[in-house]
Amino acid sequence: MNEILTQEKSIYIQISEMIENDIIRGIILEEEQVPSTNEMAKIYAINPATAAKGINILVDKGVLYKKRGIGMFVCKGAKEMIMKTRKNEFFDNYIKKLLDEAISLGISKEELIKMIAESKEA
Amino acid sequence: MINEELKCVGICKSYKDKEVLKDINLTIEPNKIYGMIGRNGAGKTTLLSIMSAQNPATKGQVMLGDENVWENSKALANICFSREFGTNASASNITGYKVKDYLKIASMLYPKWDKNMADELVKKFRLDPKQKIMKLSKGMMSMVTIIVALASKAEYTFMDEPVAGLDVIMREKFYRMLLDEYTETGRTFIISTHIIEEMADIIEEVMVIKEGKLLMKENTQELLERSYHISGKAEDVKAAVTGFDAYHEEGFGRSKGITVVLKEGQKINASGDISVQPVSLQNLFVALCADED
Repeated sequence: MNEILTQEKSIYIQISEMIENDIIRGIILEEEQVPSTNEMAKIYAINPATAAKGINILVDKGVLYKKRGIGMFVCKGAKEMIMKTRKNEFFDNYIKKLLDEAISLGISKEELIKMIAESKEA
Repeated sequence: MINEELKCVGICKSYKDKEVLKDINLTIEPNKIYGMIGRNGAGKTTLLSIMSAQNPATKGQVMLGDENVWENSKALANICFSREFGTNASASNITGYKVKDYLKIASMLYPKWDKNMADELVKKFRLDPKQKIMKLSKGMMSMVTIIVALASKAEYTFMDEPVAGLDVIMREKFYRMLLDEYTETGRTFIISTHIIEEMADIIEEVMVIKEGKLLMKENTQELLERSYHISGKAEDVKAAVTGFDAYHEEGFGRSKGITVVLKEGQKINASGDISVQPVSLQNLFVALCADED
């Protein structure tokens, strides 16, 4: 929950992504409580309604659930589910942009594959 | 908690021949933080002073629920407008007061005054209560207006440029104090500011005042989701923005940039080689209000 908000995306989307990131990285564990809307509003200096919108996205996705009178908790299996969703979106979010830029620079598919194969990370 | 709306109905204000406010109609709902933005002289302070009955409207009414607020002490007990300290001669009556005396007067004006909170804030801001207001720095004067606004505990609280002259650390502190108070009490705040970007994520709704008129009043996040900057080759950009509300066109050689605010259901056809970028509230404000120069 310590990432910085940017202007590139809606704030509530960033809030939901930050919580997801923390779940993927094991900073917040499954069945653990996440900060309340009001706490989040104060941490990030944002309107509580915006924080609530970010949390509601995750409730709708089945990442968070509400324990009445206590607060919001991470669902069991949330980590796996987030990773699965992000893998499904990986092509649209990353590969497509990569290809667009490659095409406008005249980088061929073969060159691109070679770059990926030779990179240290992969 | 009151749950009544505060309404401006056809508010007009003229000083001699000069029309300052032109037929302002707006509804402020309880339990929200509103931002009011506009250029210098757009009429923000005049509007807030009329909404708090510190200044009579030339035409129109301000209603809290079913009651006209003018000379209505019962309604006005719920409304606080913490003004900036002026520098003109008539302001010297007020700025001649010591901080503690000014706060004492405020405590008599606002029936729900929270003395503990005021005292704590004086300490937190390291203000000398015996200092005269006119001897304070600009930032310290802002602190005094913030204390009055927060400690008034009024359901409807208006603040006129509360962060003017404050350094960035103090401004951030103020935003958190405001959110603290709001999440604890659900009071309604209207805050005018020129430091638009810092408030953009805090205000639930934004009101833009331009040349005495209410140009828009929208949910801040929803407005930004519908606003884009489009740029590229002039003819491509022109084709892409046809039919949209477009503002602040800028050209440079063969390129053109323009800001659009989409209506519900409209979508940008991003075919062709154009850049479509999100805009900040400050970008949007400049696009909406800079053209008059």
